Formats: sequence, structure tokens, C-alpha cells
Amino acid sequence: MELDTISQPELEELERVGSADVVIGILDGDSPAGAGGGDGLEATAEARTREALAEFSNPLRAAIVSNNGTHAPAGAEAAGSAPSPVVFSCSLPAHVPGETSQQGIFNAYRKVFAVGGKLGARACGLIASPPRESSCEWIYRLIQPVLNLGFDLVAPCYTRQSMEGLLNRSVLAPLHRALYGEQLQNPMGPDFGVSAKLLQQILRQDSARRRGTDGTTLASIAVSAAFGGCQVCESQLGVRRQRPTDWGNLSSLLAEILGDVFVEMEGRAAFWQSIRGSRALPRFGPPETAPTDAASTPSLDVQGMRESFQLGTQSLQDVWGLILPPTSLLELRRMSRLSKDQFRFPDQTWARVVYDFALGHRLRTISRDHLLRSFTPLYLGWIASYALEIEGAGVTGADAPNENLSKAFEENKSYLVSRWRWPDRFNP
Amino acid sequence: MWNEVGESLRLSMTKMLDQFASLLPGVLALIAALVISAVIAWAFSAILRRSLTGLDFDRRVKQWGFTGLCEWSPGSSPTLLVTRAIAWIIVFVGFLVGVSAFDGALPSQLVNRVFNYLPNVLAAIVVLVAGNIIARFLARSVLIGGVNMHLQYARLLSVGVHWLVTVLAVTIAIEHLGIGGGIIRLAFGILFGGIVLALALAVGLGSKELVSRSLEREASRVSTPSEKEPVGHL
Repeated sequence: MELDTISQPELEELERVGSADVVIGILDGDSPAGAGGGDGLEATAEARTREALAEFSNPLRAAIVSNNGTHAPAGAEAAGSAPSPVVFSCSLPAHVPGETSQQGIFNAYRKVFAVGGKLGARACGLIASPPRESSCEWIYRLIQPVLNLGFDLVAPCYTRQSMEGLLNRSVLAPLHRALYGEQLQNPMGPDFGVSAKLLQQILRQDSARRRGTDGTTLASIAVSAAFGGCQVCESQLGVRRQRPTDWGNLSSLLAEILGDVFVEMEGRAAFWQSIRGSRALPRFGPPETAPTDAASTPSLDVQGMRESFQLGTQSLQDVWGLILPPTSLLELRRMSRLSKDQFRFPDQTWARVVYDFALGHRLRTISRDHLLRSFTPLYLGWIASYALEIEGAGVTGADAPNENLSKAFEENKSYLVSRWRWPDRFNP
Repeated sequence: MWNEVGESLRLSMTKMLDQFASLLPGVLALIAALVISAVIAWAFSAILRRSLTGLDFDRRVKQWGFTGLCEWSPGSSPTLLVTRAIAWIIVFVGFLVGVSAFDGALPSQLVNRVFNYLPNVLAAIVVLVAGNIIARFLARSVLIGGVNMHLQYARLLSVGVHWLVTVLAVTIAIEHLGIGGGIIRLAFGILFGGIVLALALAVGLGSKELVSRSLEREASRVSTPSEKEPVGHL
């Protein structure tokens, strides 16, 4: 059990409390403290938890781990009101300098898991998305399948605009589906419901890994569930507020996220190589319709993205030449000469490019940071192609289908397995 | 008198033959050292070549990005270059051992000076190799960073950084070897300053419009998408 994240006074408090049914982590604290999450959301973490737990027929004891610093001490309630279900609450330490955002979220999760493990919780609900009015519903939808239906991992399913969740659409979801055989919309959450079984598994794995060089990351949660044979489902959470996109720092975001995913992929190679096909997972909750007002319809700088891709194709040939096989390089050069109307990133090529980067990451062909950052022009090329495709197909506001891309990842898995096993001999 | 002349000639002949005879062991020792070192060099290079071929050294060198080394190598094979270099070093060491077998002050001094100079050569080689690795790493970082910042002249910047670091490494290496003395420092100052000045002039004058266009495009790119939400990556 990894308890180094809990302070001594908190540990004594946990000893006094004894046990709890659920642990809720509300980790949306990048909103200003005291603002209750901003945007007029005045409900504190405790109020939101109390509201969510009221929907269960049987009374539940809850612990809260929060990082917005707004919650009252556990059990504090107005005189004459019903006793609070919250038996323990604590807040997280400030953001550690030098820690990446994904690692920061996972470190916060680690504390939730440690509290959950100590209290013997049956379920953990983790919310790391920016707060919305419906946050209490989210808590309910994430822990209800764990408590009432016996699932081990409840992954989020958001109602997305066509240009939201681009990295999920292009890499994370298709890759998770092809490798681990589970069709998840958001394999990296960041909002999850976790059972006691999966919680213990993650804590054990984290404890083992922290003795080595690689730490557990956000990318590990869904992979651990697949690896441990856990029951996984999705829960419809509705529209998710997006944090502003930092386009100037896109390569750092890609390096951080894809680095974690590729490390996880390397660690589970023997497992995913034996998996064939994929399966749809149970999805709970009513689907929410995406807002279709004109103001929210994005109009990306597709031309600029194409130019970035073309610049990458011209200037990064030496770098990509160390990662990609000649056929892929030729295909990329051909694409860079296409006009805007004809410009498309074929699904097969994209899938192979992602696989080749994963392999290059494993082989350390060049510095891993260089490798991951050199992926940025390719990603921008894919976004440009995707934007042109949905514009041409007249898809607006809806969750545009990316079934073909996911199938391309599955079809090309044999290519990945061959190159992974025989990187020198199999180089088309 | 003729007897004395004959005696002198006989003595000088004996002296010369004595001296030649005293040199003979040294010559034989030199030949023996050369033959033995050549045999060792041949055996060692054969073992090394086989090991490097087994490790697929040629391909790995290309993979590590030392394509220049492949071009310089005989038969475009870095394995051949390394094995031949090692073999010649062994033969050279054998030659020095042989020379030191001569009983004389000059050969001993020569050997001492060569061995005293060896650390400088090794340090220069280390500096050159490290400089090359650092130059490649920095050049690649600048290239990838520049492309991700949508700078059209990213490649030019990358090449500039590569040459700056390489020139610096070569200068340090030459200084370690003790060649040139002050001239090298002066030449380095002129060359380094010249490169920096050329880059500054190119950016400041020649490429002013190119840079401003590129920076404008970059500025507009960074600010535009945030106004066009919702766009998200996760």
C-alpha cells in the first residue's frame, strides 16, 4: 500500500474514521480557490458529493479528496439538517514545480487511491475535468456502475463537438482499441469510476514501478483494467468544458501524452500482442445532444496546418527517415504536394505512422523527446485532413464517426507486431 | 709508419663494426617488435571486425546519425575504418617499443615525447566526438523546435548551430594538441564572430521581411485558434 502521499495527521484521522463506502476525488482545482469552481458554480466538493450520494437508495459513507480548497471540514452541516455522509475530507498539496499536467493529475489520483485503500472503499470517483453545473451527476454516473453493477472501471463518454478530443480521435482511442481490444472513447479519462479491485491493482503496480524508473501515469488506468481482466464500461457524462487550447505548446502536450502511452505500450507488449479484434463496451446514461449554435462551430486554420505539415515534410526528412520506413516517407512526400481539395491523410498511412513512432520510441532510435516532438507536424497534417473531411461530408456539431480510422489501426496491428518483434528484418 | 696507419685503420674498422654490432640487437628488436605488433594487430582487427559485423555496426552508425563517418570510411564501411585504425595504432605502438630498444638518448626522448603527447591526442579525440554528438543533438533540437514554431528558416538555423558547435569543438581539440597556439585562438575568434555577425546581418537585414512574415504568421497562428473554440485535443 502506497501511503506516502498521506500526511501523518490525515493518517490519524483516517484511523479514527475507520472505513468509507466511496472516495470522491474532485480535482478540478485549476479554477480560482474560493470561487467554487468558477462560472458561478457555488457548490463545494462536499455539497456536490452529498447531492450525488442522495441518489443512492442506501446511505453511503464518503471521503472526499479535493484540490479547490473550498470544502468545509468533514461532517460540517447546518444545524437541524440531515447528518452529512462525508466522514473524511482532505485537500491536496499545491502543484509541484516541474511536474507535468498529466503527472500532476495522476499524483492527485494517487492520493485518492491511497485514501480509498486505507478506508477500504468499494468505489472511487475521480473528476478532473473543469467543473460544470452537472458535476454531481457525473459523480453519480461514475460510481453507480461500480457500486450497483459490479464494474471495475467506468470510463467517461463525453458529448463532443466535431473538433473536440482530436488526440483521442486520432491516436489514443484507436490505439487503445487495437492494442487492448476495448472500444473506449477516452482511454485517458480524465474522469473515472474505479472499483476496489482495480484500485488495489493500480496501487500495487504503482508501488512496484516507483521502485524502478518509470512511474505510473494516467495512461496506465485503462490499460491496467484491460490487463487485469476487469469489467469495463462507459458512462455518458454529457458536454465537457474544454480548457483553452495552447497551440504554441502543442509539441510539449504531445510529447507528454504520447510518451506515457508508448511507455505503457512497451511495458505490456507481451499482453497486447496476443489480442485480436476489439469489443464494444456497455455504455450507461442518457446521451446528451451537442450544442449546435453557430458560435461554437469551429473554423480552424486548415491552410496553416497544411503548411506546417509541408514544412515538416521538407525539413524533417532526416529525422523521420530514422523512424519511418521508406514507403511511409514516400507517401508523406506525395501528400505534401497535394492541393487543399485533394489533401487527405489516409487512415492506413496514419495508423502505420503512429505504430512506427511507437516502435521508434521503444528502440530509442533518436532521443525520445526529439521523436515525440517531431510528431507535431504529422498530427497537424492529420487535423487538417480530418477538418477537410468532415467539412466535405457536411458533419457539423456531432460526434463525427472515426470508425474507419479505428478499423485501420486494427487492420495494421499485424504490421506493428511484425515490426515490434523483428525491427531489423521487417522494414517495408 | 705504415704499420701505425694500418693499426689505426684496423682500430677504426673494429670500432665501427663494434658500433654496428651494438646497433644490431636494437634493429633486430625493432623488426621483431614490428612483426609481433603486426601479427597482434592483424589478429585483433580480425576479431574486432567479426564482432562489429555481428553487432551490425555499419547500420547502427548510420542509425546514430554519423553518416559523415560512413562517407569517409574505406568502402563506406565504418567497421573497416575502425579496425584499420586500431590495427595501425597497434603497429605504431610496436614501432615505439622497438625504437625504445635502441640504446641511446635520442630514441628514448622520442618515445617519451610521443607518450607524453598521447593524452593530448586522446583528449582531442574525446572533445571532437563529444562536440559532434552535442552539435547533432542541438542542431536536431533547433530544427524540430523551429519546424514546430513554423519557422521557414528552421533548417538554416539548425545548420548554423551545428557549425558553431563543431567549430568550437575543433578549436578546443586543436588547442589540446598544441598546434598553432595563438593563431588558432585568433582564427577561431574571427570565424566564430564572423558566423554570428553573418547570422545577425542575415536576420537583421537580408531576411528581415522573411522573419517578420514568419513571426507574424506565428503570432496570428497562436492567437487565432483560441478564439475559435471549441477545439480540444483530449
